[in-house]
Amino acid sequence: MTNTQPEALKQPPPPLPPRPIKLPTTSETTLSNGLLVVVVADQRLPLVSYRLALRSGDAHDPAELPGLVDMLTGLLTEGTQSRTSREIADEVARLGATLQAGANSDYTTVAASSLTTFSDEILELLADVALRPVFPANEVELTKQNTKESLKQQRAQPSFLATEMVAKVMFGAHPYSVTAPTPEAIDATTREKLIEFHRSKFVPNNAVLVVAGDVDHDSLLQRIEDLFGNWQPGAVIGDDFPAPPTRTARSAYLIDRPGSAQANIVIANSGITRTSPDYFPMLVMHTVLGANASSRLFMNLREEKGYTYGAYSSLDARRTAGTFRATAEVRTPVTGDSLKEFFYELGRIRSEPVSEKELADAKSYLTGVFPIRLETQEGLIDQLVQIKMFGLPDNYLNTYRSQIQSVTREQIQAVALKYVRPDEAAIVIVGDGNQLSEQIKPYAENIEFYNTAGKRKTKGEASSAKSATFYVGDWTLQIDTPLGQSIPATLTLSQSTNGLSGKVESEMGSGELVSATVDGDSLSAIVSLDVAGHAIEANIFAEVTDNQIEGTFSLQDAPALTFTGTREKTAEAPAQS
Amino acid sequence: MASPPLGPKRANVTGRNEINVAERFELSPTPIKQFTLQNGLRVILSPDSAVPVVSVALYYDVGSRNEKTGRTGFAHLFEHMMFQGSENVPKAAHFQYIFNAGGTMNGTTSTERTNYFETLPASHLPLALWLESDRMRSLKVTQENLDNQRNAVQEEKRLRYDNQPYVNAFLRINELIFKNPANAHSTIGSMEDLDAATIEDVQEFFRIYYAPNNAVLSIVGDFEEQEAISLINKYFEGIPSQAGPPSVDTSEPADVARTQEVFYDQLAPAPAFVLGWKIPPRRTPDFYALSLAADLLFEGDSSRLYQKLVKGDESVVSIQGGIDERRGPSALYIFALPKPGEEVAAIRDQIFAEIQALRISGPSAEEMEKLRNSLRNDVVRGRQSTMYRAQRLAEYALYDNDPTLMDSELDHYLSITAEQIRASVEGYLDIDNRVVLDIVPSALNEEAQTEAAASPQPPGEPQQPAAPAPQVPARPPAQPATDAGGVMGAAEKRPEQSQQPADPPQQTERGSGPLHT
Repeated sequence: MTNTQPEALKQPPPPLPPRPIKLPTTSETTLSNGLLVVVVADQRLPLVSYRLALRSGDAHDPAELPGLVDMLTGLLTEGTQSRTSREIADEVARLGATLQAGANSDYTTVAASSLTTFSDEILELLADVALRPVFPANEVELTKQNTKESLKQQRAQPSFLATEMVAKVMFGAHPYSVTAPTPEAIDATTREKLIEFHRSKFVPNNAVLVVAGDVDHDSLLQRIEDLFGNWQPGAVIGDDFPAPPTRTARSAYLIDRPGSAQANIVIANSGITRTSPDYFPMLVMHTVLGANASSRLFMNLREEKGYTYGAYSSLDARRTAGTFRATAEVRTPVTGDSLKEFFYELGRIRSEPVSEKELADAKSYLTGVFPIRLETQEGLIDQLVQIKMFGLPDNYLNTYRSQIQSVTREQIQAVALKYVRPDEAAIVIVGDGNQLSEQIKPYAENIEFYNTAGKRKTKGEASSAKSATFYVGDWTLQIDTPLGQSIPATLTLSQSTNGLSGKVESEMGSGELVSATVDGDSLSAIVSLDVAGHAIEANIFAEVTDNQIEGTFSLQDAPALTFTGTREKTAEAPAQS
Repeated sequence: MASPPLGPKRANVTGRNEINVAERFELSPTPIKQFTLQNGLRVILSPDSAVPVVSVALYYDVGSRNEKTGRTGFAHLFEHMMFQGSENVPKAAHFQYIFNAGGTMNGTTSTERTNYFETLPASHLPLALWLESDRMRSLKVTQENLDNQRNAVQEEKRLRYDNQPYVNAFLRINELIFKNPANAHSTIGSMEDLDAATIEDVQEFFRIYYAPNNAVLSIVGDFEEQEAISLINKYFEGIPSQAGPPSVDTSEPADVARTQEVFYDQLAPAPAFVLGWKIPPRRTPDFYALSLAADLLFEGDSSRLYQKLVKGDESVVSIQGGIDERRGPSALYIFALPKPGEEVAAIRDQIFAEIQALRISGPSAEEMEKLRNSLRNDVVRGRQSTMYRAQRLAEYALYDNDPTLMDSELDHYLSITAEQIRASVEGYLDIDNRVVLDIVPSALNEEAQTEAAASPQPPGEPQQPAAPAPQVPARPPAQPATDAGGVMGAAEKRPEQSQQPADPPQQTERGSGPLHT
């Protein structure tokens, strides 16, 4: 490391002359039923990619059925009028192709890609699953079961818990507040509801089909006309959603996850829609503050302080509302110190104009990474779909770089003052509650406590992880009915190899626990009840304090019943396997 | 997007059973120019002017397999140190130079190698080469930076491993599959070993492994070949070579280290299990065959295990698998998440029965067609990205001294017969010589409670370092190597939304970098 260097190596080299960006040219055609077709010729490789996008997303779930659109997209490939689930899977695989559907809050997509050789066949499959799904009863049932299990898995992820709480707090009555289905909504989803949603929302005049690839334009359009021309248009319902709540004070929401190895921090403010005139100033402000590893948040919390693997901001701008967030996962003992640095940076972006260098760097970053995402067909289609789904101008890609270049320091400070509002922020933290509440107190007068089931805790003290013996015993319960009656029941919990097992006995029916999961002082279980010879599944959610238990008991499709109870006999010796 | 057509001529598809892609499938060869500097640095150039960007990948022949006992996690910690400054580049300025030029970058570490890569507007090729050469020539190491990055790495470990359900079990299973410590321990390493790393370790590691003769530089994108060559000479020529690093012994006996264990997972909401097998090194006929067998077993909705367990028996919520592809003995995994109330042992028996069926009858003709079309599709699709190509070229040059495998490895896969697949299952996916790792939620197990609170190890087991998390599932030809740990994760799409048109592009490489993935 001691060899002397030529002077020329001491300074960063100047760039070579810029090379021109060849933006793709698109051609648009509208079929008589209203389906807009956007085609980009891309002859670099023998590939083709299709994406059908519809302006209905998770936000359009029926209010009582959160998660319906997600289940529906999963079921599109599980059976059509002419193909079974298995046939669809085998045919896609035989072509070496991909075919998948999905949704976000604002829109739904059905995407397919293949080698050019199979471009006709994969498009026919796409049309079949998008237009003619039949939602077979057995597939609906299986999807419901697996969605419930996935929900349990999601709740084990700290990032899911943080996102769920942020959405709930920030969006209130607006449907963006919902990030996942509930077990009750999954139970209540039926084949009929899926068919009805598909019939009303999957209409050509609410959709766009984007194609990129090595295609012959005229024969492609003929093929699209053949496959999609008979698709019947329908009524298009706009986005008529309640406004998200206006925040007036800072508060903290602590989700107690006993044993958590880190604290997940999200600091959220209300933000902008995707088409807001403030979008480009916000984008540049976000780049200076926290978009990447050279932004202020990363440089401070990671490179200076070493509190985290990464600290970022995020600009969440959707069709009808948005948030602006600052996030990091930090080691638990420095959660308070991290909040201090976050609020320092959130204050600084408001109080001082960004420097000329920061402004130039942020613009250079945003304009420079722009062409990289156009390298792949998927990346290009992403852009074109979003332009259509969010209602961005048709020349969006052509004007993107000049829009970035025109942002001023004054505009950046103005949007920071308008949208970065530390005194009104929601601080959401997921972590080990026992180690966190004292650290959070200096930054929020008001702290609400939740468990990982998303249920508000009445007591301020966080709980710690409990072992199976905490729950084991014979519990005597009183279940309250809507008519004011009280039904006696017993819940027997014992320890087994893989956790808890047990049974429920009551007048309504009796049966064994199918599964049980515990989290801190709360227990979720599924019991298979024999009710007059019929097997019915019920969900139990309970919180235990010493020898007291309280919670809810819900049968499929019925409102939850509350119960309270006491422990008659405490832990037995653990069962041997 | 205006380059001439490279693909095969379109042909009429007359009927399902008449499709024969092979006869009509030919890709133009990847342009490859390769040479070696006097100091031993191997260079691969592949110009492509379709989009005005350039991707640079620098691969060093050092990974967790080179780590000494007591210093696990060191290759990855070192990767972080490579962003902490060199003679002319201040601490963390590497990130800033790249981002401020409109580029994206990261670095990652696997068992096999440590890579550093960036994609930039084409005009900034000199910047990338200057940055990479400055740290190869003159990395600066201070105690303060080492402490800081140790903290960042420990948070990375907590974020990606210790705070996630099931993930640490994937580290544990490698310790049960492999007997040789070089293969068995994880890339992320242990907290204790990370704490023990000293400045002297870092300096020694740099001298031995970060020499030009232990590296490959590859560049793909919009550049003039002569200009690139003179820039490479200018920036890298003066860096002295070093004595070659010590050789690595990755040899393994055929048997797995241990066939069965219970893993108590504090964060898992439900029981699950992982099965693991030891398989031959990459680029052997048996490895190719086993990769294809793995695809048939668990890749996608048409796979045998998905159709049997998720759809047919409805006994598991999900089933996934993957292959950890290495130059030495490699591994194959299957992870299953049973439904509540299902008998775990019975599900395992069903998996073994499906493996037996493949061992006895081999793949069907339909399955062979599916494999071949998928292989071709993946290879072509991967080529869209300049970064993907830069990484594959560097990898083939580093491991095989043959970057033309970029084009020809597909043929190796396509040449595998149904009988070879059948025989590879018979030879390696043994029902007895395998690891069964049961994952039990420890919150529900009294015996595990006190032990598990302190460590993810089962009671009575010696404290051992863990092994790299396989990226499950991984397709052999089209996916990058399994990685664990890097300088940053990719900027995450935090709110569960699609990317904004204005947001940075996705990382090419999976796994972690010095930033975020």
